[in-house]
Amino acid sequence: MRDQRSFLKNVIKKGITGLVVGVFLVGVTRALAFPPVFQVMFFTYAMLGAAVFLLLDAPSLQPMSGTKALVALLAFYVVISGVYIGGASLWPQYDPEDEKGKIEKLLKAKRAATEQGKAEELLARTKALSEKADAIMQRLQAVGGAALARFPTGADGGIPSGASPAASGDLVALGKEQWKLQECYNCHKLSGQGGKKRGPEMDNIGNLMTPQELRQKVLDPRSWMAEGFEKEYEKKKMPDKYKDLMEDKEIDELVAFLSTLKNPSVNTPKAIKKK
Amino acid sequence: MTYYGGHRGRSAGVRRGRTWSIAALLFLIGQLGIPLLGLAQDAASTAATVAYRDIPQLGGSRNIIWVIAQQHLLLAGFVLGVPIFAWVCEIVGVRTGDKRYDKLAKEFTKLLTSAYATTALFGGILLFMLLGFYPKLMAYLTDIFFPSFVVYCALFLLETVTLYLYWYGWDVMQGGGRKGLHLFLGFLLNVFAFFIMIIPNSWATFQASPVVVAEGSALARAWAATWNPTWWPVNVHRLIANVVLGGFICGAYAGMRYLSANTHEERVHYDWMGYVGNFIGVFGMLPLPFAGYWLMREVYQYNQQMGITLMGGFLSWLFILQAMLIGVLFLGANYYFWLGITHRIEGSEVKYRRPIMAMLVILLLCLGVWMTPHSLVASLEEARRMGGTHHPLLGVFGVMSAKMTVVNIMILVTFMSFIIYWRAGKVETATWAKVAQKVMAGVLGLAAIVVIVLGVWGYFVPAIVRINYFSVVQVLIVLFVLVTITPLTGLLMKSARTTTEMIWGRMPPRAGYALVLNAVMVILLMTLMGYARSSSRVHWHVYGVMRDSSQYAFSPALGYAAAFMSLNTFVFCLLVAFIFWVATMGDKTKTMEPETKKKLPAGAYPAMAGGSPTLDDRNKQ
Repeated sequence: MRDQRSFLKNVIKKGITGLVVGVFLVGVTRALAFPPVFQVMFFTYAMLGAAVFLLLDAPSLQPMSGTKALVALLAFYVVISGVYIGGASLWPQYDPEDEKGKIEKLLKAKRAATEQGKAEELLARTKALSEKADAIMQRLQAVGGAALARFPTGADGGIPSGASPAASGDLVALGKEQWKLQECYNCHKLSGQGGKKRGPEMDNIGNLMTPQELRQKVLDPRSWMAEGFEKEYEKKKMPDKYKDLMEDKEIDELVAFLSTLKNPSVNTPKAIKKK
Repeated sequence: MTYYGGHRGRSAGVRRGRTWSIAALLFLIGQLGIPLLGLAQDAASTAATVAYRDIPQLGGSRNIIWVIAQQHLLLAGFVLGVPIFAWVCEIVGVRTGDKRYDKLAKEFTKLLTSAYATTALFGGILLFMLLGFYPKLMAYLTDIFFPSFVVYCALFLLETVTLYLYWYGWDVMQGGGRKGLHLFLGFLLNVFAFFIMIIPNSWATFQASPVVVAEGSALARAWAATWNPTWWPVNVHRLIANVVLGGFICGAYAGMRYLSANTHEERVHYDWMGYVGNFIGVFGMLPLPFAGYWLMREVYQYNQQMGITLMGGFLSWLFILQAMLIGVLFLGANYYFWLGITHRIEGSEVKYRRPIMAMLVILLLCLGVWMTPHSLVASLEEARRMGGTHHPLLGVFGVMSAKMTVVNIMILVTFMSFIIYWRAGKVETATWAKVAQKVMAGVLGLAAIVVIVLGVWGYFVPAIVRINYFSVVQVLIVLFVLVTITPLTGLLMKSARTTTEMIWGRMPPRAGYALVLNAVMVILLMTLMGYARSSSRVHWHVYGVMRDSSQYAFSPALGYAAAFMSLNTFVFCLLVAFIFWVATMGDKTKTMEPETKKKLPAGAYPAMAGGSPTLDDRNKQ
């Protein structure tokens, strides 16, 4: 009985201390404009500290056995699990749909290369041509400029600006997509973005290499070496995998994009022929 | 006596029967396994037509593999970690002559035998599932790694034979020179276990960091693929993690037995076993962050994008979850030490209250820093108020320099908890004790200051200097503290006088729960790291080489993954509980052997750390 009373006192004393510290921390974090999630976290730290200290002095529980012990243990696990799953779910979640979208783009080209894919592509082209024909017919039929303005055309009167590069057939835009999908930025810097330790910056590569040479380099990394990157060349830093990973069409797109990179203000190193 | 003999006879019969059953089972597995390996080439040809199979009614191929692979990995971690400290305990028993260590080592090994069969069973299920669900990937991996599959099978046979000799030969090899042979078997067991661990590691690490597989013989190609950039960092990380997992699971087992103990002797034994389990887990945990740091460094060096995906990309909040788990683990392990100080050593409660309070506050502060992400979640309005997505103060805590510093401080605090526990209830009598105390205090204080200074300085130097020099120096300083203060304290304690005897079996039931909590945290951590390693490959089976084109190629969101990890942890706990129940079935019929009770008062046992009446007796003489 005395034990219980002194424990109750202890709970009140340490609980109040924890609360005071917690409220103080919330005040400080609010004054420093911490996001709310951190204000809650700091309050939780204070209460966690109070709980640990409280548990150090708590009187012993009555030992349990049999079903009671099993239920207690299960309840203990449910609490731990609940906090864990709750914490992980409340924190910012990445959306798997983003990755699904990227995978879809990557796989599209692969699927297109198959017989079924080719048939699908033909059908899609036929559909697009038919739509284009319909649009021309409607234009011809239209008399006033107001009617024309309703058509979803782009600034240049071609494809709508919001359409995907694939729909537009724009090789350079498709090549830029390949740059991202193949993660070239991981080793090459472009417009100040990406890594540059393993490979040269690419901003001026269009002035230094012809499309044929660029193609050769992508297919066979040993064929050309960037000046000043001898060590990287010797260590075979550039992977020899793109000939297997990329379709011919994808390589053409990438090369078309790289050929447009002509910014002489960036010191892209000269390419030295090795093979 | 007759009954005992009869029991022994029966158990020997049962043992013989069990050995035959196991042998038959192994033979059957072998019969099943050989044709499987032989058919590997056929599988390669059919794989061209079938890339994936699925059973959506059972949750889908990925989820099935997730559960089975996780169970196999956790069981394997336990099975490979436990022999290390079982063997060390046996050596300690031989060197000190203290029978308790031998008994403890035997108890650990007993758990091992039942766990071993279950691990193999899950390994077999995993193999079948992988062959069925991912034929193309398996054909590709088989093509590269076939020689190492053969070595793995051979090692598995050797490990099995050694384990059964080690376990069933325990009592027979007690006397004379045979104990040396038994210790050698323990050594061999660990050597085989180590290689059994690193071979599958090469398959998994190749998927994450493949190297150019050179043309050449099958052996040369397998070797080139095996020696990939993350192989050794993962080997070291897993080896340490297995010891930690094994230690904390044994601790949880002891905690459970302690909670359900019916006699004082049982409480004394399992209290002590729980302490040893926690001790092993904590000491394994101390170098673990360093191994993790090395692994991440190699990942960054291999592929910056993969490193960014993990630490700064969509998986970055995963590391906040990791910080929470490790933080609770540190708190749990320290709490158990503090409970030991307050309950096992009378009078220490008041003496050490302030240091405990200070250590708790430091741990919480460090946890706060560790759990601060680099880029904060902020609404547009919050971001405007903060002046960007990085808070001027919080953003400072979110970077690696701050995190490395607090991890090192947390390790130092945990180490101090242990040292205080070790010294509690004793008075140093050595003439050089005062000097030694000053030296230890100086080393610890100076180490903490240098770690913090390097951490702050790290903000003002290029990342490469911080990663290659500052962080490494921080790690070396903490290791230096560990390797200087431990032997120094050991020497001091050798001649120390015990003022308050350490009494085992007096811990409150919540100590048992703390041990269970620590085990659950470690298991959750391992499941989380499994998710991290798999997700870091994003939509690749073999990073940059073989794409995952199945419908499950995307990474699941963190909340969903956490629920799965929790399920995996629960299933693993059930499995372990079942294994332990089976392993200890026979114990209920055995009577306790009250050997040491005659010499010492009830509950008073010599300890690895704490009061030691044996030493006191020696001092009196």
